[in-house]
Amino acid sequence: MKFVRTALLVAFAALACAAVATAGRGITVKGSDTMVILGQRWAEQYMNKNAGQIVQVTGGGSGTGIAALINGTTDICQSSRPMKQDEKLKLRDRYQTMGVEIPVAKDGLSVFLNEANPVKELTIDQLKQIYTGAVTNWKQVGGKDATIILYGRENSSGTYGFFKDNVLLGRDFAASCQTLPGTAAVVNAVSRDPNGIGYGGAAYTKGVRDCAVRKDAKSAAIMPTAATVHDGSYPLTRYLYFYLRKPAQGDVKKFIDWVLSPAGQKLAVEVGYYPLK
Amino acid sequence: MPKPRKTAWTAALLLAVSFATPVFAQDEAAPASADTAVVTHEQLLRVLEGYTEQIQSLTNDLDKLKKIKFSGYVQARLESGEANSDTVKVSGSPYTATTANLNRFYIRRARLKLTYDTGALSQAVVYFDGGTDRTVRLLEAYVTLLDPWTPLHDHQLTIGQQNVPFGYEVERSSSVRELPERSRAENVLFSGERDRGVKLVSQWTPAIQTTVGLFNGGGVNHVDFPNSDPTLAKDFVSRLRWSQGTFDVAASYYFGRNTVPLTGADATAKKSRVGFDAQAFYSLPTLGGGTVRGEWYMAHEANADSAKALIVAPTSGNPVRLLKAGANPDHLSTDASGGYLMWVQNVGDRAQGVVRFDAWDPNVDTDHDQYSRWSIGANWFWDGFTRVTATYDAVRTETKTGPRWTDPKDNLWTLQVQHKF
Repeated sequence: MKFVRTALLVAFAALACAAVATAGRGITVKGSDTMVILGQRWAEQYMNKNAGQIVQVTGGGSGTGIAALINGTTDICQSSRPMKQDEKLKLRDRYQTMGVEIPVAKDGLSVFLNEANPVKELTIDQLKQIYTGAVTNWKQVGGKDATIILYGRENSSGTYGFFKDNVLLGRDFAASCQTLPGTAAVVNAVSRDPNGIGYGGAAYTKGVRDCAVRKDAKSAAIMPTAATVHDGSYPLTRYLYFYLRKPAQGDVKKFIDWVLSPAGQKLAVEVGYYPLK
Repeated sequence: MPKPRKTAWTAALLLAVSFATPVFAQDEAAPASADTAVVTHEQLLRVLEGYTEQIQSLTNDLDKLKKIKFSGYVQARLESGEANSDTVKVSGSPYTATTANLNRFYIRRARLKLTYDTGALSQAVVYFDGGTDRTVRLLEAYVTLLDPWTPLHDHQLTIGQQNVPFGYEVERSSSVRELPERSRAENVLFSGERDRGVKLVSQWTPAIQTTVGLFNGGGVNHVDFPNSDPTLAKDFVSRLRWSQGTFDVAASYYFGRNTVPLTGADATAKKSRVGFDAQAFYSLPTLGGGTVRGEWYMAHEANADSAKALIVAPTSGNPVRLLKAGANPDHLSTDASGGYLMWVQNVGDRAQGVVRFDAWDPNVDTDHDQYSRWSIGANWFWDGFTRVTATYDAVRTETKTGPRWTDPKDNLWTLQVQHKF
C-alpha cells in the first residue's frame, strides 16, 4: 500500500513538472495542400535568412492540419478555410482555447475549364447546379452538347470545404465528381479533358482557362485577377490562414512575423497568391 | 518514325507498366522486345487510361470505406483507496473495497464506436463498452436525421439510445474530461448518462442552441432497463445554451415521474431537475489555455430517505411493500441539490493541472447525508492519442460511529493511462 501510494505520488509530481521537459525542436507546419508550396517557400527563405532555424512544412489537407493541431503534432496549421465550430470545440476541449487565427494571404479560388471549352462565364448558382448534379450537360449553361465531367478535391481539403460552403451552400457534391489529390491533379485532369471542369487555387492555373464567375445573374462576370481578388470583387475570394493553439511566442512568433512582413508577403505574390494589404 | 532514343524510353516505360500489371498487360498488345518495339501514342494512352480507370475504381471503393469510421478509447487504471467503499463506487470500480483489493488494476472504460456517415442527410452510430465488467454492453445506438433545408443542417433529430441532453458534463465524453470521473451529483441524478428516447437539437444562430427531448426516464443503469418503460409516461428534457466561444452558459430542465414499486399498484412520484452550467475560457501567453467551469443541479424526486420513512419494508414474516398508513405518495419526492466548481490550467502543450470541488446533498431537509470532495489532478499528454492522468480525491462523508458523526477514511489515488483512437 505504501509503495503504491509512493509510486502514485511520484507519478503525480512527475506529471506536474513535466511541462519544463518540452524543449525547442524546430517549427512544424502542417495542413492545406493549396498552401504547401507557399509554406515551403516561406520556410526555405526564412531558414536561409535565419541560420539555425528549422521549419518543416507538410501538406495533407486543411482538415488533416487542424486534426494535427488538436492532436499536438504540429505547431502551426495551414488552412485554406476557416476552422469549423466543431473543430474549435475539439481544440477547446483539449487546450481550453478556441485557437488563434492569423490570415497570412489572400487567394482566388479559380474555376478551371479546358482551353477548348466555349463557356466563358458561370454564375455561382450554375456552378452549384453543375457540382450537385442538377445540370449535367454543357449546353444547359451555354456550351456545346456534351456531358460535364466533374473534378474536385478530397473532403480533407480546405478547398473542398470552401467550395462546398460557398458555392454548393452546404449541399453534397454529385456522386459523379471525381476526387483528386491536389489542385495540380485537378488542373492536369481538366487540361486533358475538353468537357472537364475543376476548381482550385488561382496560383495553379496553367494549361487550363479560368472561368469568369458571376455572383448572380445580374452581377458582372469577374475573372480572378490580382486586382479583383485584392479588392474582394471576385466572388470566390478567400483568406489563407495559420492556426495556432495559443498566442504565438518565441521562434513561432518570429516566423509568423516574418511571413506577415513585406518580404513574406512579397514571396506570397511570387508563388501566385495575393498579399493581405 | 520516332527517334530511337525516344522509342527506347517509351518501350522501357511500357515494359515497366507491363511488369507492374501482368493481368492488364495480357489485354494490351505489348511489344515483343524493347529493341524492336514501336509503341504508338495511342497505345500508351490506352495503358494510362486503364490505370486511370483502376485508380478511379479504387478511389470509389475507398470513398465508400471512408464513410465507416471506427473510434474509441481504452482507460487502464491503478487505484489505491483507503478503507471505505464509498469513493470507490463513485469512481466506477466494479470492486467492493476490501483490505485485499484496496490497490487494484482495472479497465475503467474500453469503448469502440462505429459511425456510418454518408455525408447525406442521416448517420448512424453504434457504441460499445467492454470496460468495468466481463461483458460487452451496448452503450449507445442511434440514428440522426439532418434537416435538408439549411446548408449546415442546423436542426438534427436523433432517436435511439443516447446521452440525456442535460447540463454540460452528462454529454461530455469521458475521453476528453480532465478528471477521470464526473461529479457525484451527476452520478446520482443521471447514472449511466444514457437513456432511450428522441431529441431535437437546433442551432438557431452560431451562439444559440436549443435541445428538446423525450426519454423513457429510467436510464441505462435502471434495474428494469431495457425491458420496460419505468414510468409509462415519457420524461421531458430541454436545454438552452448560449455559447460565445470564450464564455458559455446554459440552463436545463427535466420533468418526469418516478415509479416506486409497491405490492399491488405502484406509487408514482414527481421528478424534476433544473440545472445551470457556465464556463469561461482564457489564454495565457506562456502557460496556455485555462477554464473555470461550474455546474449546479437542483432536483425534486424520490430518494432512499423518503422511501424509508414512508414505506413499510417487506420482511420474511410480512413480505409486502406498502405505503405506511396515512402516508402521502407525493411526499416520496424531496429536494436534492449539488454541483461542482473546477479550474483547469494547461501548462505548455503537454501538461495540464485540474482542481475541482464537488458537493451533493441527496435530501436538503436531512443532516449528515451530504457528500463533498476535493479532487486534484494532473494530465500529461504523451502524444496526440495517449495521456497519463494522476488524481487524488479527498472525500468527506459522514458515518455515525457510536453517538458521533465522523468522516471515514475513503480518499482515493488514481493513476490512469488512456489511449484514444
